[in-house]
Amino acid sequence: MLETWTHLMGGFATAISPINLLWAFVGCAVGTAIGVLPGLGPAVTVAMLLPITSQVEPTASMIFFAGIYYGAMYGGSTTSILLNTPGETGTMVTALEGFKMARSGRAGAALATAAIGSFVAGTIATVLVTLFAPLVAEHAVKLGPPEYFLLMVLAFLTVSAVLGKSTLRGLTALFLGLGAGLIGMDQISGQVRYTAGIPEFMDGIEVVLIAVGLFAVGEVIYNAMYEGRSVCEMNRLTSVHMTGSEWRRSWPAWLRGTALGFPFGTIPAGGSEIPTFLSYATEKKLSNHKAEFGTTGAIEGVAGPEAANNAAVTATLVPLLTLGIPTSVTAAILLSALQNYGIQAGPQLFETSSKMVWALIASLYIGNVMLLILNLPMVGLWVKLLKIPRPQLYAGILIFATVGVYGMRQSSFDLFVMYGIGLLGVLMRRYDFPVAPVIVGMILGPLAEAQLRNAMSIGEGKWGVFLERPASAFLLFIVVLVLLLPRVARLWQARRGGATPAA
Amino acid sequence: MTTPAAPQVTHSSHSARAQLLIALGVLGVAGVLVYGALSIPSDAGYGGVGPNFLPWVVAAVLAVCGGWLLWEAATGGFRQLEEPSGAARGDWPAFAWVSAGVLANAALITSAGFVLSCALCFALAVRGLRLSEGKPVGGVRQTVIDAITGVLIAAPVYWLFTKLLAINLPGLTGTGWI
Repeated sequence: MLETWTHLMGGFATAISPINLLWAFVGCAVGTAIGVLPGLGPAVTVAMLLPITSQVEPTASMIFFAGIYYGAMYGGSTTSILLNTPGETGTMVTALEGFKMARSGRAGAALATAAIGSFVAGTIATVLVTLFAPLVAEHAVKLGPPEYFLLMVLAFLTVSAVLGKSTLRGLTALFLGLGAGLIGMDQISGQVRYTAGIPEFMDGIEVVLIAVGLFAVGEVIYNAMYEGRSVCEMNRLTSVHMTGSEWRRSWPAWLRGTALGFPFGTIPAGGSEIPTFLSYATEKKLSNHKAEFGTTGAIEGVAGPEAANNAAVTATLVPLLTLGIPTSVTAAILLSALQNYGIQAGPQLFETSSKMVWALIASLYIGNVMLLILNLPMVGLWVKLLKIPRPQLYAGILIFATVGVYGMRQSSFDLFVMYGIGLLGVLMRRYDFPVAPVIVGMILGPLAEAQLRNAMSIGEGKWGVFLERPASAFLLFIVVLVLLLPRVARLWQARRGGATPAA
Repeated sequence: MTTPAAPQVTHSSHSARAQLLIALGVLGVAGVLVYGALSIPSDAGYGGVGPNFLPWVVAAVLAVCGGWLLWEAATGGFRQLEEPSGAARGDWPAFAWVSAGVLANAALITSAGFVLSCALCFALAVRGLRLSEGKPVGGVRQTVIDAITGVLIAAPVYWLFTKLLAINLPGLTGTGWI
């Protein structure tokens, strides 16, 4: 405990250096802006900015990226409340009640409970990260390749098979990502695979290229093709403050949201979608003002999910830093940022890059304060961003996409590939294929393959190695459970109700 | 990369023809992966799993997924398909303008430099996006304004990256300013 305290203080010493404070601030501001703006998310923004990893030192850029990740969650709620078009999946639930509150003239209160709730949840979650991450890292050292491989399989399954509507389309997306991850030099044997003789492919396909193609270019083209006539009404911003009764209704929801969000962020369950929905359902059940839900908008329905979202986002840092396993798309891209520096995320990180890790954690405390200030008194500033006309906004995104893709490798060939991947993104969105599994599969795939092959070496070529070790047998059991449970539940439901058709 | 437009009033995501093509596309990717996997040596050392193991797994699973998608598409369409947001049919002129912007940028960036090439991309894409909203795309005056707006966005980005972050982006001149 004392040791943690010393480390944390050391982290603060690094994080409050003027240059790192500046990176944190710029990150929070950029994050809030892209959270507010429809069309760009934290994942693609961090991806576009990956080229800076060649120039900026790791601590500063991780502080910067984390600020973007966080800031996007704060900013996303503003758009959800005022526009009813959630900027991020995590703020989707916020839109349910938030938009209704705003429509009945309580936009200010909704924004306040979202921002303060995000702050409370973010700070509590950061304290939990501070306390638990070193502990997890300590135990994670004992995990071997078989356990890591199964943890990664678990991450693959949850992101592709459990979350989406269709397991088939989720798995297709995942394996497309895994296939993209195969291109280049094999980590273990040095064998070159799928490069078709093109020297640019030796180092593999850049994550920036896939992420920017799918999320940014795909989004712009999709918008031009299909969303031109979609109209958006905007709610009026009212003064941002909460009455006494709104405070009393908000704070238990914040705490419950945090309690729900944090555990979900730490396990590979695909980020913040599940906990935000759970929190919404919980608040609806517990509320004394049930009539307000879905009609005039209930403040608990904003406070809880917002807190759950931020707690989950913060908690994704635990598996990312201690195990090197990303549980959301943005976390996957943060992992690839670390890889650009040659830093191996995992339990050793707390030993080898202790200074960076603690500076990052300390910067989360600072970032939360910055974001509260950026999003409460200055919310009017961000709302102005929503006035940018749609054509200019989306065309501008293309310029930023170009910077990210071209800046990574200085190849105009990549820009053509980016366009092709953008078309793929449009198709995937149109035909309801999830996109997240592609990114996670591509980044985590090569790591999982290395773990699998190391595991097989340990087992001297026998698959039994996954069953002989108690920890890995347990994980294997969980994997099977995750695969079967939703199906069994669906079958059971179908047998009882007969209404839901089984796929 | 073929997306045939559905001529009916039904939502284009339910087009059986497009779904069949997508399934065939997935099968095609699986085929490419199989072809590539044939040339990867299986030398596994003492691990039992060599560099060609995962390629074969990925190819096999994609083949199964592609086949399954094909079956779904042929028997009533993809299951549990959530209709995506937006219009039922694609706006192809708008698509063409935006595509022209991105492709022109890719073709010109090394010769015309980042700023000018991006400004052109911006002007073309804005035109397409405006068209998709059913608004007038504007005459020469509007196009000039769009191009200048593009420069005003691209130039600061360019300076930020080349001057402040020392990341190489192509310029029309070697000065790093344009």
